[in-house]
Amino acid sequence: MRRMTADVVVIGGGSTGSGIVRDCAMRGFSAILVERGDLAHGTSARYHGLLHSGGRYVVSDPESAHECAEENDIIQRIHADAVEATGGFFISLQGDDLDYADRWVEGAITAHLPFQEISVAELFRREPRINRRAVRVMEVKDASVDGWQMTWGAVRSAQQYGAQILTYTQVTGFEVDQGQLKAVQCLDRKTGEDLVIDTPFAINASGPWAGQISALAGCQPVEVVPGRGVMVAMAHRLVNSACNRLIKPGDGDLVVPAHTVCIIGTTDVKVDDPDDLAMPRNEVQQMLDAGEVLVPGFRQSRAMRAWAGARPLVKDSRVASSDTRHMSRGMSILDHQSRDGISGVLTISGGKLTTYRLMAKNIVDVMCEQLNDPRPCRTDSEAVPGSESGRTYSVTHRLAEREADRLRDPIICECELMSRQMFIDLLADIAEPSLDDLRRQLRLGMGPCQGGFCSLRAAGLTCQIGHFSPDRATAALRLFLKNRWIGLWPVLYGDQLRQAALDNWIMAGTLNVERLPQSEEEVL
Amino acid sequence: MSRAIVIGAGLGGLASAIRLARQGLDTTLISQGLGGLQLSQGTIDILGYDPEPVTDPLAAAGRLAPPHPYAVIGSAPVAAGVDWLSQLLGPELLVGQTSANTWLPTAVGALRPTALVQPSMVAGAVQAEAAWAIVGLSRLKDFSAALVAGNLNRTELPGGGRLRCRPLVIDLMARAGEADSSGLVFARALDRPEVQDRLIAALGPELAEGESVGLPAVLGLEDLTVYDRLAQALGRPVFEIPLPPPSVPGLRLNQALLALAKAAGVRFVNGAAVVGFEAAADRVTAVMTAAAGHPRSYPGEVFVYAPGGFESGALAMDSYYQVKETVFDLPLHGLDDVEQLITGDYAAPQAIFAVGLGVDAAMRPVDLSGNVVYENLHAVGSILAGAIPWHEKSGEGIALGSAWAATQAIQEELK
Repeated sequence: MRRMTADVVVIGGGSTGSGIVRDCAMRGFSAILVERGDLAHGTSARYHGLLHSGGRYVVSDPESAHECAEENDIIQRIHADAVEATGGFFISLQGDDLDYADRWVEGAITAHLPFQEISVAELFRREPRINRRAVRVMEVKDASVDGWQMTWGAVRSAQQYGAQILTYTQVTGFEVDQGQLKAVQCLDRKTGEDLVIDTPFAINASGPWAGQISALAGCQPVEVVPGRGVMVAMAHRLVNSACNRLIKPGDGDLVVPAHTVCIIGTTDVKVDDPDDLAMPRNEVQQMLDAGEVLVPGFRQSRAMRAWAGARPLVKDSRVASSDTRHMSRGMSILDHQSRDGISGVLTISGGKLTTYRLMAKNIVDVMCEQLNDPRPCRTDSEAVPGSESGRTYSVTHRLAEREADRLRDPIICECELMSRQMFIDLLADIAEPSLDDLRRQLRLGMGPCQGGFCSLRAAGLTCQIGHFSPDRATAALRLFLKNRWIGLWPVLYGDQLRQAALDNWIMAGTLNVERLPQSEEEVL
Repeated sequence: MSRAIVIGAGLGGLASAIRLARQGLDTTLISQGLGGLQLSQGTIDILGYDPEPVTDPLAAAGRLAPPHPYAVIGSAPVAAGVDWLSQLLGPELLVGQTSANTWLPTAVGALRPTALVQPSMVAGAVQAEAAWAIVGLSRLKDFSAALVAGNLNRTELPGGGRLRCRPLVIDLMARAGEADSSGLVFARALDRPEVQDRLIAALGPELAEGESVGLPAVLGLEDLTVYDRLAQALGRPVFEIPLPPPSVPGLRLNQALLALAKAAGVRFVNGAAVVGFEAAADRVTAVMTAAAGHPRSYPGEVFVYAPGGFESGALAMDSYYQVKETVFDLPLHGLDDVEQLITGDYAAPQAIFAVGLGVDAAMRPVDLSGNVVYENLHAVGSILAGAIPWHEKSGEGIALGSAWAATQAIQEELK
């Protein structure tokens, strides 16, 4: 058993937890973040990639809209390398409720949301594939944000301020003595070793898993209703700005460009278990139909992949629990001292990725109050490592980089232009990574071929440089291909089915990967 | 006007075109691309798994039941087709027999059963206690010597025992100043004696007593004796291990067959996707290609349809999960349980890839009741229903068997 000590333990390595650990560290607390899997491998990356301008909420919740607008500016500044400043549009189509557009304009003015109405001709000039039935268009500051990149940026900043980040570390229990938290018990899932962190304070930021974690502390049940959202990524940027329908927010009313693809989202279905997110065909079909409304010809375009995320909504007795969209989208902070008589434990849930920094500030403020140790938040004033220049992400940046180094550095993943050196550098940085851990930071295998060519090269490289045994490299390759299939098969039609046939000719036909001997090592 | 029109330039299409032309028919071959051989491993598979590993592929193929295409084709046409190709190409390109599988290493270090192999691969037939130096080229990213050697070492051989493999990496420049050269660039470079000499000089001092040498399959594209020259110079057996596409061994077969087809008088229309057809009563009268300006019509008396399956786009599923054969809209077999065509189980074979055309003994597509759709339309290769060739290692056997059966039937028909 290993022992560590900290002022505060943050549970959950999504955007919220990463923001909290950064905030704590910047305020001078010694902080440890524990995450069951890899950073941002849950809800924070399984979403549509929109950095909200606030436009989506101006009618239903102007306060939320205002918060989004403010945070949007801050995120673009402190996380420049994770944000592509695409801009966005809210578009009324013929047949839409035009009163809603008027109410939207009023709401935007009330919320102090920067916007301007532009002509339909201007919209078509900038987004030629948008439905020609557009009648009114509002331009807003929506942007596209990479959830992994943003979370990693926050974590790297936290590390610079002395925080420790423990991934693949699962919370197994809490030591509470006379109503006061004493320690958080964990399991290192990679080594199997137990870990106890002596700490007077823990913040539960595990999102849809918040109920499971608070139960371990012996709290009264925290009812989290995971709302499953299915998203579909198309293999091209059918739009270059975030394109929203100017209607009451609903399913699939939004297409967001992200890197070389674009994403349509999303559905909203109440589920029981955030670890078991199916992608039913009818929901995929619903997204394709919705895409067709915004971008005619959507169904003829190549779908690349689908995924499902679980919204971390805290149950609110005021609304029917089957309708998660109308629950509060704001954050909830549960104080387990007043609620359950356990001091030193807070749970945060709900909220939006766009406002992750503000949520972190709010809960760390609560912690400071409880500790009677007021320290100001500084997270809005400093860019995270990698974003110091203030230059936002550009989709062509890797093309420029590969143009510069192509004669000396082989390209391992052609779809995403990932070089050999990028892969080797990160490999040296992570203890016992899976290929998916590397993928989340490098985009390995995330393009149209979904690993058909690059996964063999990546597995081979881990082995060639002596980092993995052949046994482990093979296990990693198998796991990677299996995980790619999860998001592929729900949208396997058209050209992506054609690609899958080619990939099978390679993996099964030429290489006979399926008949390799089983590995003894297990890759998490 | 040609009497015979062949659609598709993979193994099935090329074999059919050569056979028809040699029967004296004026033959045109239409293809949208280069054909599937460049995607293949460059050996001739008949049957590798049924699903257990197969030792006598022809005998095992003969035992398969419908809806497997071998059950319709029959093992005699498969044997005849493979033997015909083997004689056509000669021992400088293909060796081996239809009644015994050889186990060869793959570029991930698995073993793979196949029937006929290129002579450059023969020394890679696995043997217990064989000592192999597995040689990677540092500028070729599709072959990791460490992974291949390591996986081979942890593999129990089909006949028992193990290999003793050792990885080596050589820095060979295929094209000046390039750190990232494809297998094809390496193969073209290694057609040149000067580059062969550089490889020999780099490799020689690294090898241990009694070791054979396994290299990625890039040992020359035009010159089929490069492996032998290396073996002579290094004083030991040398063998090639096929890579992911573009496949040099596949291209060697492709080039040889193209030359033979041209010599036999086959007319080629390349870069032309067949997009439609014309029919009168129960006969196809012409196919249409997409060409600049307007579709172009190619009339004929008999048609051999060898377009490939989903990988080529000949079979396609739309966003409503409707599956179609895209040129003739022929009835598809294997669609019984539409919900189960694609499942979330990655390890399981996906039923969608066994969907395709059902045929009669003359390889003419039939409807679900077994009625022939067009009297003069024959289907060949991986568009046939009932098999997942990459899974069971049967692609070339199905292509050659169906090409043989179709061309025999056409010869009878036109007598």
